[in-house]
Amino acid sequence: MESKRTEIKRIIKDTKSLPTLPGVIAKLGALAENNSVSVHEMARVVSSDQVLSAKVLRLVNSAFYGFSGRVSTVSNALILLGVNVVKSLAISSSIFEIMEKNVVGLWEHSMGVAVAANVISKRLGLPEPEETSTAALLHDIGKVIIKIKLQEDYGHLTALINEKGLMMLEAERELLEADHAEIGEWLGQTWLLPEKLIEPIACHHDVARSRVHQTKTAVVHVSDVLIKASGFGYSGDDLVPLIQPVAWQKLGLNAELLASIVEEVEDKLVEVRNFSLDIQSNNEPKA
Amino acid sequence: MNPKRRIALLSGDQQLHMHLELRLQSKDYQVVSLPEPSQVLGFIYSDPPDLVIIDLATPNPQFHTVLKELKQDSYFSTIPVIGLISEGAGEGVVWDQFPLDDFVSHPVRYPELFSRIQLSLQRIKRVFDNNPLTKLPGNTSIQRAIERALGKPLAVCYIDINNFKPYNDTYGFSRGDEVLRMVGRIMSNTVKETKDGGFVGHIGGDDFVFIIPLENVEQVCKTIIASFNIIVSDLFGDEDKARGHYLAKDRMGVVQKTPLLGISIAVVPTDNPLMQHAAKVVEVAAELKKLAKKSPESCYVIDRRRTNPLPAVADLPSRREQ
Repeated sequence: MESKRTEIKRIIKDTKSLPTLPGVIAKLGALAENNSVSVHEMARVVSSDQVLSAKVLRLVNSAFYGFSGRVSTVSNALILLGVNVVKSLAISSSIFEIMEKNVVGLWEHSMGVAVAANVISKRLGLPEPEETSTAALLHDIGKVIIKIKLQEDYGHLTALINEKGLMMLEAERELLEADHAEIGEWLGQTWLLPEKLIEPIACHHDVARSRVHQTKTAVVHVSDVLIKASGFGYSGDDLVPLIQPVAWQKLGLNAELLASIVEEVEDKLVEVRNFSLDIQSNNEPKA
Repeated sequence: MNPKRRIALLSGDQQLHMHLELRLQSKDYQVVSLPEPSQVLGFIYSDPPDLVIIDLATPNPQFHTVLKELKQDSYFSTIPVIGLISEGAGEGVVWDQFPLDDFVSHPVRYPELFSRIQLSLQRIKRVFDNNPLTKLPGNTSIQRAIERALGKPLAVCYIDINNFKPYNDTYGFSRGDEVLRMVGRIMSNTVKETKDGGFVGHIGGDDFVFIIPLENVEQVCKTIIASFNIIVSDLFGDEDKARGHYLAKDRMGVVQKTPLLGISIAVVPTDNPLMQHAAKVVEVAAELKKLAKKSPESCYVIDRRRTNPLPAVADLPSRREQ
């Protein structure tokens, strides 16, 4: 019998597409009807959604276009693919048939972490803030794989988390012989995404393991913790991990700085919450 | 090992699907059925097949739209498309409305279909004027497009990349090729996304051409330059980006501070009575290019001269844009 890890890798290899929220697709569809829609407007909607962003990045980094592993932001992907290609990609996307609390929760969580990563990068004056927030948006893409492609296991996972009060990460390791960070890493490699996106996805729970892009990884890790602590969205469990010392040092954080970052993130989350409500009102299935 | 050739089948006809799929699989093709027109482009874009068979025997305006859209994108227009049309209907087809590569009659004679498929796959390698790197139309098509533009309120615009050679030498050829592909994509997307569209072509190396209505010229040039400046961020390492230049050997082999990549665009309006033939357009463009290259930043220069002889470069009423 093949091991669980081999099974998951095989599933990833066969994964061409993942479903996303109907509200996001409806919003893009409405944009697409406007003939003079700009790359900038489309990028804003696409980068609110981890699945759509991953899809667009997969396409632009595919061997077909010849930019493999080079393009790491949604706006650059949109410039190179063109509005029409992205429109068609969105229209043909599959959507979640049933809207569950967990799906919307994970979507909000990912968007929240992206926003926090952007705030931190800019506040600390780090290079490539857009790349970092893209990595932050995608950091839990492994959870989408588990939810969609390993539905049975997903059921067991949630049961395990509720019964034993485990963290999602621990439950995954116990049940799947792999965790969502590793699964996200495999997906990133299979889809030929740039290393600067893969490494933060792979190491956001173990910043010390990150070698080349440790700063980006540290930002994603801290953002993840802050958003979990803020109670915005739902990432699969209610537990807030500690900020790892290596990340704290790498970014040169101190309590005062962190407090002011948290304040700015909270302000930005109000906007995100409104956007989320707007999207969710579009999630209702149309007759 | 050669991966199986993939054929996408566009038809709403269930029976046809079943038959074709069975026959094609027996010839070791992998078949993907796409009965729903709205799904087709998304599928082809995310996972391009080697060949497309489109059912035009049962008229469906949506499939027709898909066909046109597909053939408009230079990257995907290289995928051969075979149309299935009703027996004897070929004479009535307005072929310029149906950009097919070949057709077979419906009901299908399978041995013929198999030969057509193989022929289409071979031909695409042969008859191609398009640049293999960017898949944009090459010099024969460009020459014709310029000739068609003469006397009309259009503009022939030449793009080239500033400091491309040192980039190629320092970062390597395959990275240089990426830059060329990116410029090709930016140019063709921008032109396609403006109201009236236009022609795009790749002369070779770092030289590109687009032809668009004169009234859209400034907006398109600005958009192309802005997009290129954003994309440049993916082309350099962190340190080079932070410094704003990189170290490269010049023609004499001496290491020099070299600015990051930029582009220059030389714009030649073709409604100018001085533009009598294509060679004149090329000559004027070459002069403008020299002027554009004097700017350290990306810029475009428009030829607004209406009289001979040529004024001195300094008096030239031109426009620069960062």
